[in-house]
Amino acid sequence: MSTMQKDLNAITRRNFLKASGLSAGGLIIGVSFPMGLLGSVDSAGFEPNAFVYIDKNGDTTIYCGRCEMGQGISTALPAAVADELEADWSRVNVLQGDADKKYGPQATGGSRSINIMLEPMRKAGAAGKEMLVAAAAQIWNIPAEKCYAKLHHVYNRVDDRSLPYGDLVAIASDLPVPDEPVLKTSDQFRYIGKPLQRHDQDEMVVGACVYGADKKLPGMKYAAIRHVPVLGGSVKSVDKIEALAMPGVVDVVEIPRFNKPYGSLGGVAVVADNTWNAEQALKRLKIEFEAGENGSYDTQEYKKQLVKNVEAPAKNEFEKGSLETAFKDATIRHKATYVGGHLSHSPMEPMASLVWVQDDKCEIWASTQDPEGIQRTIGAYLEREPEDITVHVMMAGGAFGRKFKCDYVQEAAACSKAVGAPVQMTWSRKEDTRTGYYHSCSAQHIEASVDAKGKVTGWLHRAAFPPIASTFNPEVVQPSASDLDAVSKHPYGIENMRVESGMAKAHTRIGWYRAVYAIFYGFSFNVFTDELAHKAGVDSLQFFRNIYDNNQDPDQQEQVKRSRAVLDKAAEMAGWGKKLPANHGMGIAVHHSFESYVAMVVHAEVDGDSIIVHRVDSAVDCGLVLNPDIATAQMEGAVIMGVGLTLNTEVRFKNGAVVNSNFHNYPVLRISETPAEINVSFIGQDYRPTGLGEPGVPTLAPALVNAVFAASGKRYRSLPIKPA
Amino acid sequence: MSFSITINGQLHKTDVDGNMPLLWFLRDTLELTGTKYGCGIGLCGSCTVHVDGKAVRSCKTTVSKADGKAVTTIEGLSKDGSHPLQIAWLSNNVSQCGYCQPGQIMSAADFLVQNPDPSTEEIDAAMQGNICRCGTYKRIRLAIADAAEQMKGA
Repeated sequence: MSTMQKDLNAITRRNFLKASGLSAGGLIIGVSFPMGLLGSVDSAGFEPNAFVYIDKNGDTTIYCGRCEMGQGISTALPAAVADELEADWSRVNVLQGDADKKYGPQATGGSRSINIMLEPMRKAGAAGKEMLVAAAAQIWNIPAEKCYAKLHHVYNRVDDRSLPYGDLVAIASDLPVPDEPVLKTSDQFRYIGKPLQRHDQDEMVVGACVYGADKKLPGMKYAAIRHVPVLGGSVKSVDKIEALAMPGVVDVVEIPRFNKPYGSLGGVAVVADNTWNAEQALKRLKIEFEAGENGSYDTQEYKKQLVKNVEAPAKNEFEKGSLETAFKDATIRHKATYVGGHLSHSPMEPMASLVWVQDDKCEIWASTQDPEGIQRTIGAYLEREPEDITVHVMMAGGAFGRKFKCDYVQEAAACSKAVGAPVQMTWSRKEDTRTGYYHSCSAQHIEASVDAKGKVTGWLHRAAFPPIASTFNPEVVQPSASDLDAVSKHPYGIENMRVESGMAKAHTRIGWYRAVYAIFYGFSFNVFTDELAHKAGVDSLQFFRNIYDNNQDPDQQEQVKRSRAVLDKAAEMAGWGKKLPANHGMGIAVHHSFESYVAMVVHAEVDGDSIIVHRVDSAVDCGLVLNPDIATAQMEGAVIMGVGLTLNTEVRFKNGAVVNSNFHNYPVLRISETPAEINVSFIGQDYRPTGLGEPGVPTLAPALVNAVFAASGKRYRSLPIKPA
Repeated sequence: MSFSITINGQLHKTDVDGNMPLLWFLRDTLELTGTKYGCGIGLCGSCTVHVDGKAVRSCKTTVSKADGKAVTTIEGLSKDGSHPLQIAWLSNNVSQCGYCQPGQIMSAADFLVQNPDPSTEEIDAAMQGNICRCGTYKRIRLAIADAAEQMKGA
């Protein structure tokens, strides 16, 4: 478990969320979350806590403090509140909360929203319900036990009278907020576990949903930007004369590198009366860049170096048992090296926000995953207190980890400050592709031994990738022990193991990309296991089963059980072992990440150079599923992203700068490459809910690569298989 | 030079630069933001609108090219969100982030006029120019097939 996860778990076990330490990456900030104590009263209604507002007509507003980017969190969590509140969902309006400590932690990443927020949100609803019940009991002058709540009414068990919620709010608002409201048992759920439609779908299909790129203000201006192309580089000179003479241009703004973690890389922006004029003028700027120390970064060379770094002894970060003995006594020895490239998030809405910096306030409308990060970064930039920065969290047009970083907001703030008007900056696709916080490229080398009984006895794992921590501290030049936790604590529980970290100094900004390191760990573990199975002459599914069954570590038995269960379920769904046509094959993979378990079987066909993915069967154990339809959509999306990164997408650098520029050379998956069948099944509903936004991604690539091997005998160890 | 464009049934006269892509005229001048910017070079389909009933990429269609023509955007596809595709998009819960979906729906609307009874392969071919990074393609296929079924019955 990473430091970050430990911090978060500690937070959730307390009613009062308090400041927690800064973990690697600086994700966690101190929040004060007075759960169960808020009971602010106004004349029109009452707020049992920060999330729920019921007015005197009974109309109910539930605020979602977590950021929405399409994952459905602003439906799933409010529906859980409504469930405990016994609210009528048709009377509930969901609003996205602005940046505000009262909502608890709002930084939305790491597949943690439901994991950490479900219980407080449910308590919010349950507390409200208990207060409404108590109010009705007071009116009827009977004990609260003689009353119950159902669908926006409180009923009197004695004589079946009822009162609507709206009639109770005046009295309820004077009552104490219960500290420990009683939560429903699963058989009492009204909305949890049901495929409730998302609250925001209607506006999306008529073009009425307002994203960060869409917000309008009177007198606003529009900005376009060109960034310094190389990390650590700078603008040497800029000739603005022609650009300033272009129609509609208000100003040309030089934006120096803002050396806070989420600040601008540096660049030059044009502010104009519309985006088109800004982009046209940008082309007339004559900018000379200084490349700086990363000016020779070349990913093809760099990946070769990473391979060298993992094919030789590296820094030992974890050891148990005796690898040497296991290797000496082996019946089968095998080794292989796996390589992956940088990835760009490339959400369909590029980085976009509208910022209005004024003398006495700063107001921001941003597509973001981290409103608190915006408050901190813009606060630092403007030399103001973070809470003086107002952040309206807009619907994000995709994010996948990229919109955690608010460099684009800081750039819009610089423009607004310069021209004294609200400025909306939307990055061009080219800038979005070339100025990201990329998924690490990586190399991993595995050597393993299998004994005469077919048991995997030894496992040497070396990994080299520029870690995310390098973005915050350039002195971090290789994976840390905790970056390697997913290897050293892998639920295979191999008895003799050594885990080593290879050098990998970063030359670009590294960020969280949907599933993060689990992408390449899931790949190497599962492909290597499939290779071992073939070497041992054992059916792959059986070989996977054997590895888990051989794990006797008492601390890992739950992981073993749950991994085995999804593995068996996926195999059953896919009809593992059935006869397939020539050149068709099935591959399987299972991975534990973000506290959840996913297994996938991919059925692929190899026809010459072309790889066709016919079908994907996924079994998922993420504990209790709040909304099976939204959860299924998350898995379907993960499959599509997984196929894309397996086959097609890689960000390449040459001379320090990104070569890719748009969807022709960063070819994210299109509809024709979509598998004909994507089946998803959820098991493990009795466990507490865990992550789902990300854990669907890591199993696709290895299952597909294993399927390609089964179909063609060709083993791919480097992704993507068909680089553009 | 001034241009006259009918947008969602309403005549707009403008003297903006004729080279301005229709996309930015819609978004920044008229503040019709349902039409989205995704790539700017006709690769992703997020900006799809209809010009005289035909689906076009508004990032590659200039204001001068739209002069005298009738433009329909997602805001004007139906009065009240009742186009069979919009209904099918809801019944299949297609949208995740939703950003590309106006473009997807506008592409599909023109396609179904040309091909009222498409196969999955024909749907794929027609929708190949519209990218969805959330990966809603499975549901897009289903929704288009549903809408086609609905429109046949109408």
